[in-house]
Order: sequence, then C-alpha cells, then structure tokens
Amino acid sequence: MTVDAHRRARAAVARVAADGTDPGSLLAVLAWLVRPRRSPDALRRACRDLPASAEPPALRLEAAAGVPTTAMLAAVEQAIEPWRSLGVRVALVGDASYPERLAAGWPDTDGPPLLACRGAPHPAVPAAALVGARRASSYGVGVAAWLAEAVGRAGIRIVSGGALGIDAAAHRAALDTPGGTTVVLGCGHGVPYPREHAAVGGLFDRVLEHGGSLVSELLPLQRPVPGNVRARNRIVAALTDALVVVEGGSTSGALVTASAAADRGIPVLAVPGDVRAPGSAAPHRLLSEGAAPCTAPSDLLDALGTGGPSAAGPEPEPARPRVTVLPDEVHRALADAWPRALRVDDLAAATGRPAPQLLAALTRAQLVGEVAEGPDGVRLRRAPDAAKS
Amino acid sequence: MTGLHGVLATVRAVALVGLEARPVRVECAIGSGLPGLRLVGLPDTAVREAADRVRMAIQRQRLRWPQERIVVNLAPADLPKVGTGFDLAIGLAVLAATRQVRADAAEGVWALGELGLDGTVRAVPGVLPAAAGARAGGARRLLVADAAAPEAALVEGLDVVPVRDLGEVVAILGGDRAARGAAPAPTVEPANTLDLADVRGQAVARRAVELAAAGGHHLLLAGPPGCGKTMLARRLHGLLPPLTLDEALEVAAVHSLAGERAPDSPLSLTPPLREPHHSVSGAGLVGGGSGIPRPGELALAHRGVLLMDELLETPRTILDALRQPLERGEVAITRARARVRYPARVLLVAATNPCPCGHLGSPAHACTCRPDRVERYRGRLSGPLLDRLDLQVELRPVDRDRLAGPPDGEPTRVVASRVRAARAVAAARWGPGVLTRDASPDLIRATCRPAALRLLATAIEQLGLSARGFDRTLRVARTIADVADDADVDAEHVEEAVAYRLPDPVVTV
Repeated sequence: MTVDAHRRARAAVARVAADGTDPGSLLAVLAWLVRPRRSPDALRRACRDLPASAEPPALRLEAAAGVPTTAMLAAVEQAIEPWRSLGVRVALVGDASYPERLAAGWPDTDGPPLLACRGAPHPAVPAAALVGARRASSYGVGVAAWLAEAVGRAGIRIVSGGALGIDAAAHRAALDTPGGTTVVLGCGHGVPYPREHAAVGGLFDRVLEHGGSLVSELLPLQRPVPGNVRARNRIVAALTDALVVVEGGSTSGALVTASAAADRGIPVLAVPGDVRAPGSAAPHRLLSEGAAPCTAPSDLLDALGTGGPSAAGPEPEPARPRVTVLPDEVHRALADAWPRALRVDDLAAATGRPAPQLLAALTRAQLVGEVAEGPDGVRLRRAPDAAKS
Repeated sequence: MTGLHGVLATVRAVALVGLEARPVRVECAIGSGLPGLRLVGLPDTAVREAADRVRMAIQRQRLRWPQERIVVNLAPADLPKVGTGFDLAIGLAVLAATRQVRADAAEGVWALGELGLDGTVRAVPGVLPAAAGARAGGARRLLVADAAAPEAALVEGLDVVPVRDLGEVVAILGGDRAARGAAPAPTVEPANTLDLADVRGQAVARRAVELAAAGGHHLLLAGPPGCGKTMLARRLHGLLPPLTLDEALEVAAVHSLAGERAPDSPLSLTPPLREPHHSVSGAGLVGGGSGIPRPGELALAHRGVLLMDELLETPRTILDALRQPLERGEVAITRARARVRYPARVLLVAATNPCPCGHLGSPAHACTCRPDRVERYRGRLSGPLLDRLDLQVELRPVDRDRLAGPPDGEPTRVVASRVRAARAVAAARWGPGVLTRDASPDLIRATCRPAALRLLATAIEQLGLSARGFDRTLRVARTIADVADDADVDAEHVEEAVAYRLPDPVVTV
C-alpha cells in the first residue's frame, strides 16, 4: 500500500462519508466489502467474534476489516463513484447519522455495518413498517394506502422495501404526511430497481422531493439478487416500532420481515384478507401464530403505543374539498366495495348505468385522482368517509 | 401424309397470377415427326401432364387422336402457367387442328377447365377471377365445366357455355347441339344465428364490439380461456353489414382462387370470418406456397373478420407479418416466379391471455407470473401492431348466476342498425367505403372540439398513455361520436375512448 494511494482513496471516501463518520474507518470497511463474495453480515459476525471490548463499533469494524491493499483501495474508489454522483451519504454503525434503533445491541443484533442514505437521514421518530406482496390486489393496495396515510398524519414514519405493490402503496400514501417515508432498498443505490420506481419522476424521485430517505446497506452497484432483497427485510423490521403485513403469498418475503421483527420484539400486525384470495396466505398465517389483527389505523396506533384516536391520534384530516366527479350511485357502489375493486361490468350491472357513460365518468374520475384502475378493476383511491376510524 | 400439316388452331385461355388474370393463346400445330404431343410455353408440372389427360380424353370420347407430331404453344411463352385449367383449351385446340372442330368456330372461343381421362370437363379453382379476366381480355364466350358455370356467369357480359364433356364441345361448336345457358349463382343474404343477446354481462366488451363494427377498428380482447372471447368475436362478425355485390365478388374471387368455395355454391353476402390457429405459419397467414403464392388467411378474411386467438403465443415474425397488411389493406407477396397482391381489408380481432398464466386480476386464482414477466409478455405485442389495435378490452368470466339468467343486453338486430347508421355517417365524411379506422388523423382532428383535444392531452400525460395512443384514441372517439350521431368529437367521447386500453398489470395507489 502506497501512502499516496491511501490518501487518494481516503479523500474519495471522505466525500461520501456522513457527518460524524470517520473516513478512515469507512475506507477500511469498504475495502473489506469490495472483495468478491463478501456480505455485510459476514463483517458483522467477524466483529462479534472479536474479543469483547468497549471500543465503539467503528473501531471494531476497522479492526475486523484489517489493512487494505493498494488493489482494494483502487477498487473502493471505483465502486463508490455512483454514491458520489447521487449525493449519497454513508454512515457506519454507531455513528451519529446511523439510526440508533438499528445499532442497538450491535454486533449481537443484525444491523448492517454501514448504511448508505440518499435524501434526508432517517429521523429518530416513531416508525411503522407496512410490507406485503408485489402482486398486490386492489384490496391490499387500498388498505396499505389507508393505513399509511392515517398513521403518517399522526407523525409516524412509514418504512417499507420500495418494491411494487404494497410497499409502493405505503410509501406513496405517506409522501405528503408529516411522518414521511423511508425506503429500504434491496440493491445498491446505483442500480435502477424496480425500474418503474427508479425512473425519472418515479416513486424514488418523489420520495426524495418530499424529504424522505432511501437507504441501502449495499455497495452502489450490488444487484437485487434474492439474498440481498431478503436481507433488506431485517433492516425494514429493525427500523420500526411496529410491523404490518398487508398481503402476501405463502412464501412472501413479508414473512421474513415479520420473523425479523418478532426476533427484535417488535409487535407484528396482520391485515385480514379474503379467505379465498391468494394474497391472504401470509397475513392469515401470522394471525394464527398470534399476530394482532390490523383492521383500522387505530389498531396500528395502539400497537405503537401512541394511543387510539382519543389520545395523540391522527391530526384531523385537513379540510380538503371532497372531489367527486362520479355520479352519486357510482360513487356509492365503489365506496361500498372499498377497499376492493369493482369490475366495470359489475359496476354497470349494480348501478344500471350504460357502459359508455360509466367508462367516460370513470376516466374523468381517474384524471382527478378519485379512482385508480388495476387488473382487477377500478376502486376509490382514498378510503371513503365511512371507513375513517 | 394426311394433309393436316400447316393447320394452326388457336383457342383462348386464362393464366392467373394471383387474382390477376392474363389472356393466354393456346396454339396447336401438327407436323411430321415422332407421334406425340409436346407442350411449350413455360408450363408447370400440372400443365405438362395435360398432354396425357388430353390424349386419353380425346380417345375415350371416340374422337380421333392424330398419329403425328403435335406441338401446343401457350403464348406469351414467358408467362408462367400453373394448374390444370388449360386442359380444355388444349384439347379443343387439338380437335380444331385435326379439323374435328372447325378452326374458325374455335377461334373466338375461350375455354377453362380440367379434363378427366374419360373426357369429362371439371371445374378448376379460380373460375371467378379467370372469367372476369377473360371478359376484360375481350372474351364473349367462355366454355367451362357445368359445375363452374354459375360462378363464371357472375361476370357480366360474358356468354358462359357449360359443357359436360369433349363430345358436347364438339357438338356445340359444330352446330349439332344448342348451347345450354348458364344462370349466375344466386346471392344469399347473411343468415346470422349468433345473437349478441346471447352474451350475458360483459357490458364493456359488448360496447367495444359495437364500436369495432361501426368504425372497423381492430380489437384486442384480453382474458383467460373460457371468458367468451371467441363468442364475442363471432357476434362482432354478425354485426357487420352484408357485403355489397361488388364486395361479395371480390371476396368470392379470393375464395375461389384458394379453392375454398365450391363454384356452384351461391354467392354469399356474409362477410368472411376466419379463425386460424395460433400455430399458423407465415405462408398460411399472409399467403405463399411454391410457384405463384396462394392467398392466406389474411386475404381469405378480406372484408370480414380475422380472429387470432392466443395472439401472444404466435411467433414474433408472424405478428410482424400482420403489420403491413393491416396498414395497407392488402398483402403483397414477392416470390422468384411471381409478385402478387391480394386484398386484405380485414377487421382483426386478437384474443390473448392477460398474462402468461392467465390469472392476472382474477379474484380466486393466484397469478403466478412475476410482474416483469407480465410486462415482457405484453411487450411482445409492441409498437406498430399494438397501435393498430384501437380497442383493447380486458374480459373476465361471467359468474354462473348471470349466465343462467335472462338476456341483459341488446340483440344484434338493434346494435347492427346503429352500426349501419354510423358507417353511413363515416362514409359520407371520409368517402365511400372508407372506415374511420383508415381515416387520416388530421381529418379526424379537424372534427374534434378543442375541449376534446385538451382532454386527450391531459389523459396522455396523467395516465401514462403512449404518444402513439393519441391517434388510436382519437379514431375510437370519432366512432363513438358517429354511433351517437354527433357531428363533432367532444370531451365525453374522448373520455370513453380513453377507457379502451389494458390496465397496468400492477396495482398502484
């Protein structure tokens, strides 16, 4: 290792190090991680196996990582370039910018050695995770959005995995709330995945615009391979005070998140679903294993210990004019079905409206954001007034 | 020597290159040399075999076969001749050259038919286009097989003479027997037994089918097997107005050439409905085959409905082959020996599963497709072909209660009258026979209120429609206005038109 190479690499690392993070320690950790077949959790286990000492985690990491070679230094410089161009800040476990809850008990708990954060740092406020299937139904998406928005209005941070389906619904609904939202990626910041969300103007851009955070434990270009995505779930669980599984199949990653939460003693809730729907397998299994049912935002607020609506409760809904461009009976039929979707054919049969007129009205409603359309039909985007509780 | 040397007999026939008929002179001369018949003038195998059929037919009819050298030339010699339809003209030329028929009697005669070994005359495929070509080439009198006479007689101004066998030909041309006349094939009106009222529920799809019929819009039906895609496509076919006589003749010409219609069957005014299997080959769909390409399913569906089930299971190359015919209304096939064009103004009804497993959006079945796979599956139907599918509708199976219930929609009779009226309005605007599907986007735009265009721009931006969807949606909106008998396209028409697209495979807030 030449002094020159070390100095250059350290300068590069300093540009992405978060406030309060020592570039030297971070460089050592990165140099350990850039080598092939190295996982963040393997480094944590190496730290755990060191003789116990009182020194801060960053120094333990540096000790476990060892001294980098010149080749590794060059690799680090190259590997972290996307972080720099995206404005990502990286903190080591135990540092000021690293979420305290995630660092608790480390290295015996499984928090990642480093956390790369894009946007504002994940704040130290009460947080809830809403997770579920990518192939979500309108019901799942409707419930997730309802919960996320109501709980977010009470100042609770909404954390999820940034995937399509339930995750996306939770993030989107929380964007405008005081609680805001944190996305835990299953890949590096430099990998545009999922494509729809990473696209310009996609969900991730909107999260950043609204002051939210995107975090990842991985190097910028690490791919969303199943191992990485599953490992991400433990971070989602560890960042929060309560976890809600909204919808998921029998092998859903949401079950991984739930068991990670249970391991940390975080309350797990599940949203009951249609007994015949394939997406009900995961929540129903959790319910049978003792998870609390979550049937309204108040259930989640109770689990968070912030009390029901009578206590801290969600702040009253801002007085926004209820935009409805739908004929009354159409709106009523959709409100009755909410959060399930209705097929236009069934809506036509239920309301007696001719299909052409109904299709035109639904397009109008879609343009003002009153309804959304999915493969299983159309549904109201927001919970109807009757469902607020 | 017999004194036949130097006699040259000429009979007329027709060579078909696709639907295009070219007059052929069949010249026969008899000279010295090894006895036998030699055919020259680019004959294919079937024409070459005519020598044996003609010889045996003449002998079996107790006519005389000369023991000399016979040369038959099919002129122009550079035009490829295909099939067995020259038999009768060759036989007649030989009979004229041997003075068993007066050469001047044979001179102005056009003949079309295959000869059996016993001398009977048989019908050949393509009688209608051949007869029309003969008339255009100046024919007054055409000899054809009995069975082919009704079809040939559909050509106006042609004296069609049905003949049973060579003996009758000799008798008629010799003046020993009067020619039997031929009545043109009668026309039959469409008799549709499949009524739209049979479809329960499916209000949206039913409306889409009406619009497709009214504007000629190509239609995409996405839904699991058994949800009624074929049922709807067949009823769409029933909504199409009957063919005019000219259209029916165009259709019959293609079907005759392909051997798909019996020449003695009545002339149907029912638009064709073709349902090729999704394993159809490129040649089967577009047309092809060795020698002169034959019409494929696209041409056979001309002025009718082409139903392609499991469209996304069809190989990409075949999907691409659909594009050009849908844009131009005809198929052009170029082969080494010939370049042919067939009309192909079809209404395409494409049916497909919503995703590879078929269960996407289904309430009771788990869709086992990863979201990106659904996208890739749909991506096969991308670009120019998707742009031609103006109406896109997702279907679900109808629940059993409703299937057993009373009809809940309008019958074909009622909807078809709206379709006819809308087509008349559109034709008055775009020109006779022009469907809104084929109308120029600029002309359509000129009939839109500003509010309609503004709304469409908003919809494209907010709902993530492709810019390509713009023209597609305008076409449909125009037809919606026509069905409602509104002169201008208004915002509400665009609002409905926007709805005829497949929803995203992923549910979003």
